[in-house]
Amino acid sequence: MANGNMAAPSKEEINTQNKLEFSLNVPFPSTREASIALRSLLPDREPRKGGITKKMAISGSTLCVRWTADEARILRVSVGSFMEHLTLVMETMEAFGPPVLL
Amino acid sequence: MTVVIGFEGSANKIGVGIIRDGEVLSNPRRTYITPPGQGFLPSDTARHHRGVILKVLKEALDEAGLKPCDIDCVAYTKGPGMGAPLVTVALVARTVAQLWGKPLLGVNHCIGHIEMGRLITQANNPTVLYVSGGNTQVIAYSERRYRIFGETIDIAVGNCLDRFARVIKISNDPSPGYNIEQMAKEGKKYVELPYTVKGMDVSFSGILSYIEDAAGKMLTSNQCTAEDLCFSLQETLFSMLVEITERAMAHCGSQEVLIVGGVGCNMRLQEMMMVMCKERGAKLFATDESFCIDNGAMIAQAGWEMFRSGQVTELSDSWITQRYRTDEVEVTWRD
Repeated sequence: MANGNMAAPSKEEINTQNKLEFSLNVPFPSTREASIALRSLLPDREPRKGGITKKMAISGSTLCVRWTADEARILRVSVGSFMEHLTLVMETMEAFGPPVLL
Repeated sequence: MTVVIGFEGSANKIGVGIIRDGEVLSNPRRTYITPPGQGFLPSDTARHHRGVILKVLKEALDEAGLKPCDIDCVAYTKGPGMGAPLVTVALVARTVAQLWGKPLLGVNHCIGHIEMGRLITQANNPTVLYVSGGNTQVIAYSERRYRIFGETIDIAVGNCLDRFARVIKISNDPSPGYNIEQMAKEGKKYVELPYTVKGMDVSFSGILSYIEDAAGKMLTSNQCTAEDLCFSLQETLFSMLVEITERAMAHCGSQEVLIVGGVGCNMRLQEMMMVMCKERGAKLFATDESFCIDNGAMIAQAGWEMFRSGQVTELSDSWITQRYRTDEVEVTWRD
């Protein structure tokens, strides 16, 4: 986006249920843009049925994504593919934005 | 006037097309071409599409001389096709639809081919032969559905051709099917291959296994040339397709055939179909490679029909699907 801010804070740790966790906060210039990204990224389900959950939400103008997974391998694949999708959405917004007034 | 932009990227082609009331304003496309002997894998194909899609979109708008505000609806391929490339294209379609404040419309890829074929050729109510790298179906319209009369029970005819091309290392540029077609013109000897029509359905995987096995032996012992094999494979596969198309026409009492899909631009297939049509007093409709092969305009055209009949796709329902049969779609735009 404005400065392609992808350097969001993240952590990977084993929580009490013995699950791997990963969380990513992506700042956008406005709530509207964060919401567009969320609604573009949300419709497609994870290809894998079990072993991983991914939750996405908006907090102000930040897109917050949180994963829990049984195995690091599964987590890496999901986070990796999410980053590719996010990058494409942000590039699309840069090239064809800003959003029209509603 | 209704202007629809269509995004297509379910296989190795990525295209964006713009249609205004039956007029193709722009239709740029890129193809992901792999080295000889290699097919295209989903993740590599998706990477290719991600790398060029925004450039192709800009080209489509520039060539049409339109601004985003001139567009009424954003159509994209919902399926069927390869998952990762479909997601790539859907992401961009969803994002621009929201940026521009336009409705979104998920289109069945097969319906896109049929509607584009009908638009370009003006065929009214044809029996449709849909032949490509991923699909082989004989289709006729009845009571608000494109009904599948016959189809492949295993691999698509284009997949059979593509994989044969890999075995004998034919170039994938511009496409394996095109190169097989050119080589087949030099074929002199017909090598007998299995012929597998099962009622209204066809099967190609056994033919592929047979020729994969035979090719090495026959070529090294100089029993035939690669050109002879290309010729023999085309003659066999296309005869099967003509046979089931003719049977569907007889069932429906149809006097029109429309060939769509990437294999549909093969002139030998069109020629063989023409012989059958002439014998029956029927008319053949086909298009050239710009509209036969996957393109954005075909998604825009099917989208145009759907949008005009009142359909839209909510963002929450805009998920892609690798399996999506032609007869799942209710045709709300035809009587």
